[in-house]
Amino acid sequence: MAGSTIDHLISVIVFLGALLVFISLFNQMIQTAILYQRHRYLATKCSDLLDNILLNPGIPADWGKNSTRTLCGFGLQDPEFTQYRLSPFSLMRLLSSSGEKVYYSRTGEWYSNVSWGIGGGYFLLQESECINYSLASKLLGINGTYGFQLAITPTVNVSIVEDKNVASYLRLNITVMGQGSPLAGASVDYLMFWMDSSEPVRNSTRTDSLGFAYLDFNGANGLPRIEVSQNKTAYMFIAKASLGGLHGIGYLSREIVTKAGNIIPFVENYGNGTVGTVLLAHKWGKNDPGPGDSQAALFFNATFYVLPDSFSPIKNVTVEGHVTYGERLDYYPLQIPTSQVGYLVVTYWTGREYGMVVMPWGIGTIGFSVVFGGDPSGQEWVVTDVRQVLVGDIAYQARLALWSLEGYGVVG
Amino acid sequence: MAHITIEYIIMVPVLILQIFLFPLTASLLMNVWVDSRRTLALREAASHIGSTIQQVYFSLNHITVPAGTVTQKLGVPPFIENRPYTGNATLKPVLDPALNSSKVLEITFRLGTIGTAVTTSVVLGQNFEWRESTFVSNSTNACILAEKFVNGTIRLYFGG
Repeated sequence: MAGSTIDHLISVIVFLGALLVFISLFNQMIQTAILYQRHRYLATKCSDLLDNILLNPGIPADWGKNSTRTLCGFGLQDPEFTQYRLSPFSLMRLLSSSGEKVYYSRTGEWYSNVSWGIGGGYFLLQESECINYSLASKLLGINGTYGFQLAITPTVNVSIVEDKNVASYLRLNITVMGQGSPLAGASVDYLMFWMDSSEPVRNSTRTDSLGFAYLDFNGANGLPRIEVSQNKTAYMFIAKASLGGLHGIGYLSREIVTKAGNIIPFVENYGNGTVGTVLLAHKWGKNDPGPGDSQAALFFNATFYVLPDSFSPIKNVTVEGHVTYGERLDYYPLQIPTSQVGYLVVTYWTGREYGMVVMPWGIGTIGFSVVFGGDPSGQEWVVTDVRQVLVGDIAYQARLALWSLEGYGVVG
Repeated sequence: MAHITIEYIIMVPVLILQIFLFPLTASLLMNVWVDSRRTLALREAASHIGSTIQQVYFSLNHITVPAGTVTQKLGVPPFIENRPYTGNATLKPVLDPALNSSKVLEITFRLGTIGTAVTTSVVLGQNFEWRESTFVSNSTNACILAEKFVNGTIRLYFGG
């Protein structure tokens, strides 16, 4: 009798154990299946959201270049309304999450930092003019439920560097890369804005099988002789690479900090949709001048070029003047029309030292990237979706990263 | 005698109980899975319809688009777990000053007679109007109808 009772007891225990193992395994399987479905749902949401952002110009449609209009619908499509073509001005107004904000003590304002001197290129927009992440989330109807990050980056990367091995004249090495591979045989149109030439030099070349090309500015082959040693001259070079209808753009501007500092353009506002205001600020890099720094006047020549798709820049606004730190003239306000895209080229000098910086007027004219939104790192599950878009005629990639803000719970 | 009591009075009912316990547990776990699956499928459909409404509105809102009527077919499944679902929308006032002069359309979808319901919100412009209508997923004419008027007002409603 005792033996059969023990049998029963053991069988009950084994059965309970089996039941627990079953519940545990089954539950795990179900959790995996539910998570899979939630992730798939998040992917669909990401795709829909990206299309919503890229296929509507927002309300009002011209919000990108008009500070006085209140944004009540978020979208980045070009107001001309052509499929995945984005507005170069709307992209400029997104509060950058890639660079640290910059404080300019003379205006007492913070500026969104899209680019701080990368290759001599600047784009700093006063924070109050920017569309922030929170407002964009609210206008997209996802505030509190999803986080996102939108990155608009060029599809074709055109990199330009000075060849330091050539000392007697300027040699520029150009590398054209597609998504992970070089663009061999790409046609490269270029513009050389040189301070000793009143008009930019325009010419073209072609990349080799490694996507590489170089240009010697040695006075031969129709190119001027340029010597940059001891900062005795300055230039800004823009190259547009094209292959099979795909266009990419890159630049290099010879920015230096002279004994009297340099000039940094800050975008103050876009006004009422006709002209924007840019401050040409006298700075010493990111800092104000130290005790040993010269506070002498810094002279400048600023020219705004309109850039049509033909890649033939048209001189639009030119100003000359000087700025002096600590006096009333520590920045110079300049007005630029918002009707067309282009770039502002600023040459500055003190004594025999010259430098040059460039600022795009419309993302795309010199191939800047924009990163907008939250930080996906540390999130439990992030989905991304990509669209190929155009900014002007330059190919860009729009990548949206989306994540749920409610942990495992994905809400609609 | 004591052994017989333990065996037949306690152990046998426990074993019989376990026979029911096993499928009950499986059923309970399956219900959790099925509910979650249905809710997610409904959310996916709701989110997609909301997104479509927003895209139709923004497309028509452009100044170059003249007054007229547009029919947009919806790429959502007619059934979820063999059950049709219905949707209703309400235009809500905007309480958040950050949304400026936008309007929010709150769309609620319900799955058959089960009672599973989800809600999605769409932010639209001031010239948007919503006409009271019901979306029926298994209707052959299920769509979104949009009318743009000469004064710029855009009215949307579910068709079918």
